Amino acid sequence: MLGFQNQKNVCKIICMMGVTILTQFPTGNRTGPETVEVLSKRILALGAAQQGQFLVDCDTYTSIPQLGPQRTVHVLHNSEQPATVFSLLESGNKTIPLAADGLFDLLMMKMSSFYTPKKQTKAESKGLRYEIGDFCVKLGTVTVSSNFKGILVEVEYRPCVVPAMCWDLLKEFLQGLLGQSAPGNLPAYLQNRVQEIYSPIDTIHQYLEHFTLFRKSPGGMGLRTQ
Amino acid sequence: MTSPGSAMDSLSAALKCNIIPNQEYLLQGSVLDQYVEVLLHRLRGLCDNVDSGPESFHDHELCFTLRATNSSGAPMVLPLRVRRALDVSDAPFQLRYVGQQELGDKNRPTVVRSSIDMACSSTIVDFLTELGCRLDFEYIARGPGEGVEPISQSYLVELSVLAPSGQDAIGEDMRVFAEQLRPLVQLEKIDYKRLGSMM
Repeated sequence: MLGFQNQKNVCKIICMMGVTILTQFPTGNRTGPETVEVLSKRILALGAAQQGQFLVDCDTYTSIPQLGPQRTVHVLHNSEQPATVFSLLESGNKTIPLAADGLFDLLMMKMSSFYTPKKQTKAESKGLRYEIGDFCVKLGTVTVSSNFKGILVEVEYRPCVVPAMCWDLLKEFLQGLLGQSAPGNLPAYLQNRVQEIYSPIDTIHQYLEHFTLFRKSPGGMGLRTQ
Repeated sequence: MTSPGSAMDSLSAALKCNIIPNQEYLLQGSVLDQYVEVLLHRLRGLCDNVDSGPESFHDHELCFTLRATNSSGAPMVLPLRVRRALDVSDAPFQLRYVGQQELGDKNRPTVVRSSIDMACSSTIVDFLTELGCRLDFEYIARGPGEGVEPISQSYLVELSVLAPSGQDAIGEDMRVFAEQLRPLVQLEKIDYKRLGSMM
């Protein structure tokens, strides 16, 4: 009880953040590092400043057969919210999001006899972080179980929290940076939420969608490995 | 600039350095409604926060368990509790795992049980339900003040400290503090197994 009283005074877990679009950038006939180099030169030429690095990772657990119909728990971390662990529980056709303190990882260990880690599926996107005016850009190299899978570009427009109100601006920025590879539409996940206030869990949803595709792709979406 | 380490690496490091408060030291007792003011007065004399007075709480707690049998047929049970403040609407929900309590021998001053305590989003109830957890019981705790549907004419008094494991001096401090409340409240190591067999 004493612990809970203290927690009432901590700030809210979900803080405000800008709208973020995550998109895959095809490597074509380049290697992963070469592709990142190309994008990095472009963003620096636009006047961006490199500001640190980032890491988003995802572990997936499945329920043991004795628990009935199979359920899947994805546990994700984002270095942008270092004190938070995000989980997405897939049960039937429902997906339930959860944001919790870092100790949630410890709880997953306690749960290891009920939910076991899916082998060879650890996915991560890591790389450099750039700031350019009101935008924050992250160029991520994606690996699944340490194998190179592709490049994910994350662009955040920080002053706005409603996707519908800044999508055109983001689209224009993405076209300037990625050219023809820029997405023409909002990511599917955001299309039903264009008028809602964007929060960090929405970025997590987008990462999971991409990680799921990368995991299914044999040897890196038909791309050359590094 | 070093690259951000993985969250699991930081957790392993924190476990290794033993800085995670994952042990609860606990003493429990009760006081009759008519003497609660005397106890509060006594606590005001013992505690530092005399000016601000006691912090009130009005919490709803849901107690879940995740149950299954392992491959050799033995039952596995994982208790999980969700607590939310009814009086502070924007407070995060609290998720808590509480392990088996260890009473120890009579030289150990308090009950010790492992505890993982974290703030989380309000989706936790749906999350646990879909995870396969079953709701065993729920209750509302309110204090100090009148309960909505009191289940007895007493107040439950708990003295609880969360600390990293191996901090046994805390138990001793708690025993000394509990001595100061006698004979108004007898804070003791409560053995739930024995309580169960008495009913």
